[in-house]
Amino acid sequence: MKRIDGADLIDRLGIGFIIALAVLALALLLLPAVIVVVMSFDTRGYISFPPVGFTLDWYVKVFNQPVLVDAMWTSIKVGLYVTALCIALGVPTALACARGDFRGATALSVFVLVPHMVPGIVLGVAVLFSGALLGIGPSIWLQSVSLSVYVMAVMVRTVMARLQRLDPLLEQASANLGASRWQTFRIITLPLLLPAILAGAVFTFIEGVDNLSVTIFTHGYRDRPLPIELLAIVQNSNSPLVAAVSSVQIMLAVLALLAISLTIGLDRVNE
Amino acid sequence: MITAAAPFPAAGTAEAAPVVAIRDAVKRFAGLTVLDRCSLVAQEGEILTLLGSSGCGKTTLLRCIAGFLTPDGGEILIDGKDTIPVPVNRRSVGVVFQSYALFPHLTVATNVGYGLRMRGVPATEIGRRVAQALQTVSLTGFEERYPAQLSGGQQQRVAIARVLVLEPRVLLLDEPFNALDAKLRGTMQMEMRQLIKRLGITAIFVTHDQEEALTMSDRIAVMRAGRIEQLDTPEAVFDRPASAYVADFVGASNFWNGLASQGRVVLPDGQGVPTALDGEVRVMLRPHNVLIEPAGADQAGWRGNVRFRRHVGALMEYEVELSDGASLRVVALRDETLARIDVGDRVALGLRDPAACIAFPRA
Repeated sequence: MKRIDGADLIDRLGIGFIIALAVLALALLLLPAVIVVVMSFDTRGYISFPPVGFTLDWYVKVFNQPVLVDAMWTSIKVGLYVTALCIALGVPTALACARGDFRGATALSVFVLVPHMVPGIVLGVAVLFSGALLGIGPSIWLQSVSLSVYVMAVMVRTVMARLQRLDPLLEQASANLGASRWQTFRIITLPLLLPAILAGAVFTFIEGVDNLSVTIFTHGYRDRPLPIELLAIVQNSNSPLVAAVSSVQIMLAVLALLAISLTIGLDRVNE
Repeated sequence: MITAAAPFPAAGTAEAAPVVAIRDAVKRFAGLTVLDRCSLVAQEGEILTLLGSSGCGKTTLLRCIAGFLTPDGGEILIDGKDTIPVPVNRRSVGVVFQSYALFPHLTVATNVGYGLRMRGVPATEIGRRVAQALQTVSLTGFEERYPAQLSGGQQQRVAIARVLVLEPRVLLLDEPFNALDAKLRGTMQMEMRQLIKRLGITAIFVTHDQEEALTMSDRIAVMRAGRIEQLDTPEAVFDRPASAYVADFVGASNFWNGLASQGRVVLPDGQGVPTALDGEVRVMLRPHNVLIEPAGADQAGWRGNVRFRRHVGALMEYEVELSDGASLRVVALRDETLARIDVGDRVALGLRDPAACIAFPRA
């Protein structure tokens, strides 16, 4: 047998320790989601783990309740609105911060971070009160706008990081070859930013679908989104219905990631 | 025209109208004067090199001609017309960048056809002219590749084709060989010069590498602190530098401090260098203009001790310490006698051609 000396042993222990940490981190990240999904198939009428049987009844119940189906649609709509707003406002902001040659470009890039650093509850209350002052009551629109403000930083930062690594000579070369600023943006800059925009879009969509802290103060009473309905169910019962609704939400997030991996590939998102 | 070998007048012919004329260009960045009343003229079909160390303003001047920068003063004329108000995308100036700046998400053919597409040229003609341009740079068959799938040399050729396809009036090259390894660099310099000459394009080329400048250029503009120190043919810049700075920057030089009187400086070996100066001077002695041989017991004449020697291929290079403590570089073709001279040996020195030495005032 090969002799293992001291240094070798320490190396192996070190590697073992790192692997153990990685497994633990992965477990902490994945286990809650896995447990929720597993519980959603339980045959008993209350939440418990491990399950004793398998049934799809809870999902049937979820999709048979018009309130929950409507809530799902509302949340998907909010996710899309938030994403659209963040692209429409965040990409130009990122361009201005990264390429702009004006006083305060740096200040602007810090400023968009502020709403994200304020606790969501504080932002939600603030938006509710300022909306009231302007005569805008809680609604799907108030919710979408406030969530957009809340997560705009993610889009701006992701796109800015990509822009800063993009060779500015590409834009100069394009101009030298006769392209106008708009042509350069459309044919050179935008396609090269697309992976970053899509990465930002996944995060803003997911935030739009499952944010609770901002949503709780700003959502419309007729357009109740999924996290609000979920909270109501949890407060009044402990049936696996909650687990089923959560699983649907997890599925939405997974689908968004899947869409990215099938179109541009997850590995390109962080380029 | 890419294929037509346009006839071009010999470099520097006075009667041809200048393609590029720069008069008293000034550019300041935050109070720092980078171009200081800089003037130069590029003639039809010539390759003009802006040579200088980093910070001398050569790249700034190039960027002003391309339109990426606007000079704070002076004129830039192309074919006699004021170019400063013309926006960057309307100038007939093609730039080959140091990093090539190829569009990574577009194929070779799309990269090369980009400028034509921006000009609204019909697709069939774009295809024909792209094929022609790729043939010019020997990249036929690479149309559908992406820049990342090409070698450095091939990327450079795409960058050149992308610009040449537009038949620009002036070609600007910003240190285009920097990213290539040493061996390929020599080949590409030669190929690039032949290509530009064959097409008859007027080219302005920026480099800090004096050997590259000597290889590539019809004329060299040596720049220093935002001004042109000397503008002449490579031979003239090398043989008759206008200043001690140029003598030092282009080709290695020794400087020997002496006294000029009655129209000449007498060197230690007794030969005289003619000069119009009087008093303290520095005399440029090119390393290959100094003769070296083993010194016998005879102590008379110009003597020194070899402090260091090295083989440079077929050449021998010596550093010789003189009696006054100064040192002198000597380069000579290697032969039996020279190969015997070793570190520590006492050597006799002489001048091959005193007429090739130039006296400059002592700063």
